[in-house]
Amino acid sequence: MTQRLNAFQTAPDAYKAMLGLQDYVNQSKLEHSLQELVKIRASQLNRCAYCLHMHIADARKAGESEARIALLSAWEESELYTPRERAALRWTEELTRLTERSPSDDAFAELREHFSEQEAVDLSVAIGMINVWNRINCGFRTRHPNDRRREPAAA
Amino acid sequence: MSKRLNPYVTAADTMKPLIALEAAIKESGLEHSLIHLVKMRASQINGCAYCLHMHSADAIKEGESPARLFLLDAWHESALYTPRERAALAWTDALTLISETHAPDEAYEEVLRHFSPEETVKLTLLIGTINTWNRIAIGFRTSHPNDRPAKTAA
Repeated sequence: MTQRLNAFQTAPDAYKAMLGLQDYVNQSKLEHSLQELVKIRASQLNRCAYCLHMHIADARKAGESEARIALLSAWEESELYTPRERAALRWTEELTRLTERSPSDDAFAELREHFSEQEAVDLSVAIGMINVWNRINCGFRTRHPNDRRREPAAA
Repeated sequence: MSKRLNPYVTAADTMKPLIALEAAIKESGLEHSLIHLVKMRASQINGCAYCLHMHSADAIKEGESPARLFLLDAWHESALYTPRERAALAWTDALTLISETHAPDEAYEEVLRHFSPEETVKLTLLIGTINTWNRIAIGFRTSHPNDRPAKTAA
Protein backbone atom coordinates (compact mmCIF):
# COMPACT_ATOMS: atom_id res chain seq x y z
CA MET A 1 0.00 0.00 0.00
CA THR A 2 2.00 3.01 -1.18
CA GLN A 3 0.82 6.58 -1.61
CA ARG A 4 0.04 7.39 -5.23
CA LEU A 5 0.62 11.11 -5.09
CA ASN A 6 0.48 13.95 -2.58
CA ALA A 7 -2.65 15.81 -3.63
CA PHE A 8 -1.83 18.90 -1.63
CA GLN A 9 1.71 19.33 -2.94
CA THR A 10 0.46 18.67 -6.45
CA ALA A 11 -2.45 21.11 -6.31
CA PRO A 12 -2.10 23.50 -3.37
CA ASP A 13 -4.88 25.73 -4.69
CA ALA A 14 -7.33 22.84 -4.56
CA TYR A 15 -6.25 22.21 -0.99
CA LYS A 16 -6.76 25.88 -0.08
CA ALA A 17 -10.25 25.90 -1.53
CA MET A 18 -11.13 22.75 0.41
CA LEU A 19 -9.75 24.23 3.61
CA GLY A 20 -11.90 27.32 3.03
CA LEU A 21 -15.04 25.23 2.94
CA GLN A 22 -13.86 23.13 5.88
CA ASP A 23 -13.30 26.35 7.87
CA TYR A 24 -16.90 27.30 7.21
CA VAL A 25 -18.08 23.95 8.54
CA ASN A 26 -15.76 24.11 11.56
CA GLN A 27 -17.11 27.51 12.52
CA SER A 28 -20.75 26.55 12.05
CA LYS A 29 -22.88 26.12 15.14
CA LEU A 30 -22.88 22.33 14.84
CA GLU A 31 -21.39 20.92 18.04
CA HIS A 32 -17.87 19.59 17.68
CA SER A 33 -18.71 16.15 19.08
CA LEU A 34 -21.43 15.76 16.45
CA GLN A 35 -19.12 16.86 13.66
CA GLU A 36 -16.58 14.23 14.66
CA LEU A 37 -19.19 11.45 14.80
CA VAL A 38 -20.37 12.39 11.32
CA LYS A 39 -16.81 12.41 9.99
CA ILE A 40 -16.02 9.05 11.55
CA ARG A 41 -19.23 7.44 10.27
CA ALA A 42 -18.74 8.67 6.69
CA SER A 43 -15.11 7.52 6.80
CA GLN A 44 -16.24 4.09 7.99
CA LEU A 45 -18.68 3.80 5.10
CA ASN A 46 -16.05 4.98 2.62
CA ARG A 47 -13.36 2.91 4.34
CA CYS A 48 -10.90 5.77 4.58
CA ALA A 49 -8.13 4.77 7.00
CA TYR A 50 -6.42 8.17 6.88
CA CYS A 51 -9.58 10.06 7.85
CA LEU A 52 -10.54 7.49 10.50
CA HIS A 53 -7.11 7.77 12.09
CA MET A 54 -7.29 11.57 12.15
CA HIS A 55 -10.86 11.98 13.37
CA ILE A 56 -10.75 9.24 15.97
CA ALA A 57 -7.64 10.88 17.43
CA ASP A 58 -9.36 14.30 17.33
CA ALA A 59 -12.54 12.95 18.89
CA ARG A 60 -10.63 11.17 21.68
CA LYS A 61 -8.63 14.35 22.36
CA ALA A 62 -11.91 16.26 22.67
CA GLY A 63 -13.15 13.76 25.25
CA GLU A 64 -15.24 11.37 23.17
CA SER A 65 -15.63 7.91 24.76
CA GLU A 66 -14.04 4.77 23.34
CA ALA A 67 -17.41 3.00 23.42
CA ARG A 68 -19.17 5.65 21.33
CA ILE A 69 -16.41 5.37 18.73
CA ALA A 70 -16.17 1.57 18.78
CA LEU A 71 -19.94 1.13 18.43
CA LEU A 72 -20.48 3.76 15.77
CA SER A 73 -20.74 1.17 12.97
CA ALA A 74 -23.81 -0.09 14.83
CA TRP A 75 -25.20 3.25 16.08
CA GLU A 76 -28.68 2.26 15.01
CA GLU A 77 -28.64 -0.65 17.46
CA SER A 78 -27.27 1.34 20.41
CA GLU A 79 -28.68 4.01 22.70
CA LEU A 80 -25.32 5.67 23.28
CA TYR A 81 -26.31 8.39 20.81
CA THR A 82 -28.79 11.22 21.33
CA PRO A 83 -31.88 11.55 19.12
CA ARG A 84 -30.19 14.54 17.47
CA GLU A 85 -27.04 12.53 16.81
CA ARG A 86 -29.10 9.61 15.47
CA ALA A 87 -30.87 11.91 13.02
CA ALA A 88 -27.51 13.28 11.89
CA LEU A 89 -25.97 9.82 11.55
CA ARG A 90 -28.92 8.64 9.50
CA TRP A 91 -28.61 11.69 7.26
CA THR A 92 -24.87 11.01 6.96
CA GLU A 93 -25.59 7.50 5.71
CA GLU A 94 -28.27 8.70 3.29
CA LEU A 95 -25.98 11.34 1.76
CA THR A 96 -22.91 9.10 1.70
CA ARG A 97 -24.71 6.20 0.01
CA LEU A 98 -26.34 8.26 -2.74
CA THR A 99 -25.50 5.61 -5.31
CA GLU A 100 -27.75 3.10 -3.55
CA ARG A 101 -30.88 5.21 -3.29
CA SER A 102 -32.03 8.78 -3.01
CA PRO A 103 -32.28 10.22 0.50
CA SER A 104 -35.63 9.27 1.96
CA ASP A 105 -38.41 11.60 3.11
CA ASP A 106 -38.35 9.78 6.44
CA ALA A 107 -34.71 10.57 7.03
CA PHE A 108 -35.25 14.21 6.10
CA ALA A 109 -38.29 14.51 8.36
CA GLU A 110 -36.28 13.05 11.25
CA LEU A 111 -33.47 15.47 10.48
CA ARG A 112 -35.83 18.44 10.61
CA GLU A 113 -37.20 17.32 13.98
CA HIS A 114 -33.77 17.95 15.48
CA PHE A 115 -32.09 20.49 13.20
CA SER A 116 -33.15 23.94 11.96
CA GLU A 117 -33.07 24.52 8.21
CA GLN A 118 -29.78 26.40 8.58
CA GLU A 119 -28.32 23.52 10.60
CA ALA A 120 -29.62 20.99 8.07
CA VAL A 121 -27.68 22.78 5.34
CA ASP A 122 -24.56 23.11 7.48
CA LEU A 123 -24.73 19.42 8.34
CA SER A 124 -25.20 18.47 4.68
CA VAL A 125 -22.18 20.57 3.70
CA ALA A 126 -20.19 18.92 6.51
CA ILE A 127 -21.18 15.49 5.21
CA GLY A 128 -20.26 16.51 1.68
CA MET A 129 -16.89 17.79 2.86
CA ILE A 130 -15.84 14.62 4.68
CA ASN A 131 -16.90 12.69 1.58
CA VAL A 132 -14.51 14.85 -0.46
CA TRP A 133 -11.64 14.24 1.99
CA ASN A 134 -12.40 10.51 1.92
CA ARG A 135 -12.22 10.48 -1.86
CA ILE A 136 -8.95 12.41 -2.02
CA ASN A 137 -7.28 10.29 0.66
CA CYS A 138 -8.57 6.92 -0.55
CA GLY A 139 -8.05 7.79 -4.22
CA PHE A 140 -4.43 8.78 -3.75
CA ARG A 141 -3.78 6.36 -0.88
CA THR A 142 -2.63 8.98 1.62
CA ARG A 143 -0.93 7.07 4.45
CA HIS A 144 -2.06 7.69 7.97
CA PRO A 145 0.57 8.31 10.68
CA ASN A 146 1.94 5.18 12.38
CA ASP A 147 0.99 3.18 9.31
CA ARG A 148 3.58 0.48 9.29
CA ARG A 149 3.65 -3.15 8.39
CA ARG A 150 3.16 -5.30 11.43
CA GLU A 151 5.07 -8.39 12.35
CA PRO A 152 2.87 -11.48 12.54
CA ALA A 153 0.43 -11.08 15.42
CA ALA A 154 1.13 -12.80 18.70
CA ALA A 155 -1.00 -15.84 19.47
CA MET B 1 -34.47 0.30 21.47
CA SER B 2 -36.14 -2.30 23.67
CA LYS B 3 -35.24 -5.93 23.90
CA ARG B 4 -37.59 -8.37 22.15
CA LEU B 5 -36.80 -11.61 23.99
CA ASN B 6 -33.94 -13.31 25.78
CA PRO B 7 -33.00 -16.42 23.77
CA TYR B 8 -31.07 -17.90 26.73
CA VAL B 9 -34.25 -17.90 28.80
CA THR B 10 -36.70 -18.67 26.01
CA ALA B 11 -34.75 -21.54 24.42
CA ALA B 12 -31.86 -22.45 26.69
CA ASP B 13 -31.31 -25.91 25.19
CA THR B 14 -31.19 -24.54 21.67
CA MET B 15 -28.52 -22.04 22.65
CA LYS B 16 -26.26 -24.63 24.34
CA PRO B 17 -24.74 -26.11 21.16
CA LEU B 18 -24.03 -22.61 19.86
CA ILE B 19 -22.17 -21.81 23.07
CA ALA B 20 -20.26 -25.10 22.70
CA LEU B 21 -19.33 -24.22 19.12
CA GLU B 22 -18.10 -20.83 20.29
CA ALA B 23 -15.93 -22.51 22.94
CA ALA B 24 -14.49 -24.90 20.34
CA ILE B 25 -13.52 -22.02 18.07
CA LYS B 26 -11.84 -20.20 20.94
CA GLU B 27 -9.73 -23.30 21.61
CA SER B 28 -9.16 -24.06 17.93
CA GLY B 29 -5.59 -22.76 17.84
CA LEU B 30 -6.38 -19.67 15.77
CA GLU B 31 -4.62 -16.71 17.42
CA HIS B 32 -6.95 -14.77 19.72
CA SER B 33 -5.93 -11.43 18.24
CA LEU B 34 -7.12 -12.67 14.84
CA ILE B 35 -10.35 -14.07 16.28
CA HIS B 36 -11.15 -10.67 17.80
CA LEU B 37 -10.45 -8.81 14.55
CA VAL B 38 -12.69 -11.15 12.56
CA LYS B 39 -15.50 -10.84 15.11
CA MET B 40 -15.22 -7.06 15.16
CA ARG B 41 -15.21 -6.81 11.37
CA ALA B 42 -18.27 -9.01 10.86
CA SER B 43 -20.08 -7.11 13.64
CA GLN B 44 -19.25 -3.81 11.95
CA ILE B 45 -20.66 -5.00 8.64
CA ASN B 46 -23.79 -6.34 10.31
CA GLY B 47 -24.12 -3.31 12.59
CA CYS B 48 -24.24 -5.33 15.82
CA ALA B 49 -23.76 -3.00 18.80
CA TYR B 50 -23.90 -5.80 21.37
CA CYS B 51 -21.13 -7.79 19.67
CA LEU B 52 -18.98 -4.70 18.99
CA HIS B 53 -19.25 -3.72 22.66
CA MET B 54 -18.26 -7.21 23.83
CA HIS B 55 -15.45 -7.86 21.39
CA SER B 56 -13.85 -4.42 21.52
CA ALA B 57 -13.69 -4.73 25.33
CA ASP B 58 -12.29 -8.31 25.11
CA ALA B 59 -9.73 -7.33 22.49
CA ILE B 60 -8.48 -4.32 24.45
CA LYS B 61 -8.28 -6.44 27.61
CA GLU B 62 -6.02 -8.87 25.71
CA GLY B 63 -3.74 -6.06 24.56
CA GLU B 64 -5.11 -5.10 21.16
CA SER B 65 -4.44 -1.47 20.22
CA PRO B 66 -7.39 0.92 19.91
CA ALA B 67 -5.99 2.08 16.55
CA ARG B 68 -6.25 -1.43 15.08
CA LEU B 69 -9.84 -1.71 16.30
CA PHE B 70 -10.94 1.75 15.21
CA LEU B 71 -9.39 1.54 11.73
CA LEU B 72 -10.87 -1.88 11.06
CA ASP B 73 -13.66 -0.51 8.87
CA ALA B 74 -10.88 0.64 6.55
CA TRP B 75 -8.49 -2.30 7.01
CA HIS B 76 -8.02 -2.47 3.27
CA GLU B 77 -6.48 1.02 3.24
CA SER B 78 -4.20 0.54 6.25
CA ALA B 79 -0.93 -1.34 6.77
CA LEU B 80 -1.66 -1.93 10.48
CA TYR B 81 -2.70 -5.50 9.66
CA THR B 82 -0.44 -8.42 8.73
CA PRO B 83 -0.85 -10.19 5.37
CA ARG B 84 -2.40 -13.13 7.24
CA GLU B 85 -4.87 -10.83 8.97
CA ARG B 86 -5.68 -9.08 5.70
CA ALA B 87 -6.46 -12.42 4.04
CA ALA B 88 -8.74 -13.32 6.96
CA LEU B 89 -10.47 -9.92 6.87
CA ALA B 90 -11.06 -10.16 3.11
CA TRP B 91 -12.56 -13.63 3.68
CA THR B 92 -14.68 -12.21 6.52
CA ASP B 93 -15.99 -9.44 4.25
CA ALA B 94 -16.65 -11.93 1.44
CA LEU B 95 -18.54 -14.45 3.60
CA THR B 96 -20.46 -11.85 5.60
CA LEU B 97 -21.67 -10.15 2.43
CA ILE B 98 -22.06 -13.49 0.68
CA SER B 99 -25.28 -12.61 -1.14
CA GLU B 100 -23.31 -9.86 -2.90
CA THR B 101 -19.87 -11.46 -3.26
CA HIS B 102 -20.54 -15.19 -3.68
CA ALA B 103 -17.14 -15.80 -2.03
CA PRO B 104 -14.82 -15.04 -4.96
CA ASP B 105 -11.86 -17.29 -5.90
CA GLU B 106 -9.46 -14.41 -5.35
CA ALA B 107 -10.38 -14.10 -1.68
CA TYR B 108 -10.29 -17.86 -1.18
CA GLU B 109 -6.88 -18.24 -2.79
CA GLU B 110 -5.48 -15.44 -0.64
CA VAL B 111 -6.71 -17.27 2.48
CA LEU B 112 -4.95 -20.46 1.34
CA ARG B 113 -1.70 -18.54 0.92
CA HIS B 114 -1.72 -17.70 4.64
CA PHE B 115 -3.76 -20.47 6.29
CA SER B 116 -3.51 -24.25 6.20
CA PRO B 117 -6.63 -26.02 4.88
CA GLU B 118 -7.51 -26.97 8.45
CA GLU B 119 -7.12 -23.39 9.64
CA THR B 120 -9.21 -22.27 6.68
CA VAL B 121 -12.09 -24.42 7.90
CA LYS B 122 -11.70 -23.04 11.44
CA LEU B 123 -11.62 -19.47 10.12
CA THR B 124 -14.70 -20.08 8.00
CA LEU B 125 -16.56 -21.54 10.97
CA LEU B 126 -15.48 -18.56 13.08
CA ILE B 127 -16.94 -16.19 10.48
CA GLY B 128 -20.14 -18.18 10.28
CA THR B 129 -20.49 -18.26 14.06
CA ILE B 130 -20.04 -14.53 14.63
CA ASN B 131 -22.57 -13.96 11.86
CA THR B 132 -24.99 -16.15 13.81
CA TRP B 133 -24.34 -14.22 17.04
CA ASN B 134 -24.87 -10.96 15.15
CA ARG B 135 -28.20 -12.21 13.88
CA ILE B 136 -29.34 -13.34 17.32
CA ALA B 137 -28.25 -10.10 19.04
CA ILE B 138 -29.71 -7.82 16.36
CA GLY B 139 -32.78 -9.93 15.71
CA PHE B 140 -33.78 -9.96 19.38
CA ARG B 141 -32.34 -6.49 20.08
CA THR B 142 -30.07 -7.60 22.89
CA SER B 143 -28.87 -4.45 24.63
CA HIS B 144 -25.18 -4.07 25.32
CA PRO B 145 -24.03 -3.16 28.86
CA ASN B 146 -23.93 0.57 29.59
CA ASP B 147 -26.55 1.12 26.93
CA ARG B 148 -28.44 4.08 28.23
CA PRO B 149 -30.11 6.84 26.29
CA ALA B 150 -27.59 9.63 25.84
CA LYS B 151 -29.03 12.88 27.14
CA THR B 152 -27.22 15.58 25.23
CA ALA B 153 -24.11 15.75 23.16
CA ALA B 154 -20.96 16.96 24.87
